[in-house]
Amino acid sequence: MAVIKVDKLAVSVAKGPSLMTGAYPNKPWDEVPAVFKPGNYAYPTKADKLEYLNSQQGVSFPNAREWSPEDDDWKLPENWKEIILQGLADRLDRFRSLKIFMDCCVRCGACADKCHFFLGTGDPKNMPVLRAELLRSVYRNDFTLAGKILGKLAGGREMTVGVLKEWFMYAYQCTECRRCSVFCPYGIDTAEITMMLRELLHLVGIGINWAMEPVANSNRTGNHMGLTPQAFKGNVDFLCDDVENLTGVRVNPTFNRKGAEVLFITPSADVFAEPGIFTCMGYLLLFEAIGLDYTWSTYASEGGNFGLFTSNEMMKKLNGKMYAEAKRLGVKWILGGECGHMWRVIHQYMDTMNGPTDFLEVPKSPITGTVFDNAKSTKMVHISEFTADLIKNGKIKFDKSRNAHVLPTFHDSCNPARAMGLLDEPRYILDHVVDKWYEMPENTIRERTFCCGSGTALNTDEIMELRMRSGLPRANAVKYVHEKHGVNTLSCVCAIDRATLSTLMSYWVPEVEVAGLSELVGNALVIEGEQRQDLTEGLRTLV
Amino acid sequence: MNTYSELAEILAAKQKQILDIWTERTLGTYSAPGFFKKSLDPFANPVGVQIRSGLAALFELLRDQAEPAAFVGPLDQVIRIRAVQDFTASQAVVPFLELKWVVKEVLAQELQRRLLADQLNEFECAVERMALVGFDLYCQCREQLYRNRIQELKSGRARFTDGGCPSRFLDAAARQEQMENMRK
Ligand code: SF4
Ligand code: SF4
Repeated sequence: MAVIKVDKLAVSVAKGPSLMTGAYPNKPWDEVPAVFKPGNYAYPTKADKLEYLNSQQGVSFPNAREWSPEDDDWKLPENWKEIILQGLADRLDRFRSLKIFMDCCVRCGACADKCHFFLGTGDPKNMPVLRAELLRSVYRNDFTLAGKILGKLAGGREMTVGVLKEWFMYAYQCTECRRCSVFCPYGIDTAEITMMLRELLHLVGIGINWAMEPVANSNRTGNHMGLTPQAFKGNVDFLCDDVENLTGVRVNPTFNRKGAEVLFITPSADVFAEPGIFTCMGYLLLFEAIGLDYTWSTYASEGGNFGLFTSNEMMKKLNGKMYAEAKRLGVKWILGGECGHMWRVIHQYMDTMNGPTDFLEVPKSPITGTVFDNAKSTKMVHISEFTADLIKNGKIKFDKSRNAHVLPTFHDSCNPARAMGLLDEPRYILDHVVDKWYEMPENTIRERTFCCGSGTALNTDEIMELRMRSGLPRANAVKYVHEKHGVNTLSCVCAIDRATLSTLMSYWVPEVEVAGLSELVGNALVIEGEQRQDLTEGLRTLV
Repeated sequence: MNTYSELAEILAAKQKQILDIWTERTLGTYSAPGFFKKSLDPFANPVGVQIRSGLAALFELLRDQAEPAAFVGPLDQVIRIRAVQDFTASQAVVPFLELKWVVKEVLAQELQRRLLADQLNEFECAVERMALVGFDLYCQCREQLYRNRIQELKSGRARFTDGGCPSRFLDAAARQEQMENMRK
């Protein structure tokens, strides 16, 4: 009998009829156009939001209009191509990193199979190297000598509407998680290339509502939700009542209080959405337990900064608000809650955008006396660093049995892990608040952690399938520790994660719940004078 | 239940070859499948490894003429992935049916024997039953996606947009717009 060759049969050289012949892709990647259909794109920015933003100082968001990615005509300005190429020229000039990233990739492929979008889709344009190539090919064509002479032969591509559509598709299938950059021998950061693609697209009015509406809200009222100061305070007050019912401890946080030692800033999702509110109860209890002199702000009422996913100017403006508020209130330093990308903005961009912050002091814990030298320039300390220091100095007491209902693992959120190196503090805290917890496999944690798949404003429901497939590598590792060790809780230190991982789990590993680390701290914390009921589910218990 | 025991023996003998081709053809449905086929690290390559091991488990169940309930786990392992990828419903489930084709190609000579040809009918029926369960699971996965969307809308996670200040709800135009968006 003739031996049947695997590879031959795979490309359908069927003798008999096969049902599967239509299922195979048959074109090289650069000949496959981006096709938009329901489920594979996030809704574009609403015209009124864009108009509002464009009217604001220091930022520019032109070409507000109603349009749909599914339409052939995207209603671009007539000179759109000129705008894009000029925009690219400006940025090559302004950002040396961009120029280097455009020039120095050797196409070694080390990054290719490291992106969760590629791993979930098998789509070659989701390989980081090709994602960058979408911009690089235009750069070659118009900005390098070889490209100008040889064009396509030198890997150049002309800027066309088709290319622009491809940019929109793949700049919004990248969560700017930076996993690929960990593996690149040249340190090329594809996240920054995505940032540039998104900026360029905004020049001609292409963006997504899930990014721009929170940005508009933050600019207007100080937080993503557009909560007014009264509503924001009201939500925190509700949580204080819940805390009292559960633990018998009355906490009385202050708002906009001048002269407080510390300003506390956290993502607004912590004050209104499950499961973030349980994390928020954890903060409230912790600060009460140690008698911290702190204040909330109803203006800097958002840690998140969707400007990072929008444009440099927008990011700067939203970040500036936090420091302006710290200055206005006259606090000594800022304590930041469990947020992901807030920390990336703080650690990588804040100083050059809005620094120096010489009106603040180098953060010093009033409880332990520890000086946080690592935060010398930003004056902002992460809640996990702060808590770990309290534990190390024996300033707080825990009863681990109060966390008997959880068997956690820990998800390193992309930004705290890769953009600020916060790897060990959360683990140290976990060691002290639960009896036992398990790590996920090595190549899925710490610097090499997999993204939730819904970062950078991709946490919107209309692209649910996309989010589920890009979150698969993360979920797959959770599933493994769930099956092997019975893990039932995915703990993390990021507000977007808390929301999106909950959804991700309900699709892939429904037995696992998501909890913020400070929730687990709050569960186990022993406070003088408390009268805790028997809380079988910790701060989530319904009483 | 020994409806295709002779065929089952031959299936066992040719297991590796059949599985190789079946996996190759299934992973071949992705645009850039090289890595999916090559990497055997279950955490670096979840799609490739989960599909590979899911298909292997299904094949063994068919070979052993297992009870229908036993198929659900490995079917789910494969279809839960394909249900959220860029496939039509038929493209998502077609790999299950494709096994019939693979078996006929690999066993072309053996199947010339009358007895085996008869048993092949039974085997194919089992494959089709399996594929139908796979289709049910596909539908469940899709329903779960929509439940996820509703859950997010209800939980307040979705209130990043058009929510927030309660006064918005007094705004009839905004409400209208919201309804339209929901219908989209
Ligand atoms: S930054 Fe993350 S999402 Fe973007 S290409 Fe790299 S690995 Fe993929
Ligand atoms: S790892 Fe770096 S140099 Fe290699 S292909 Fe990717 S971006 Fe280019």
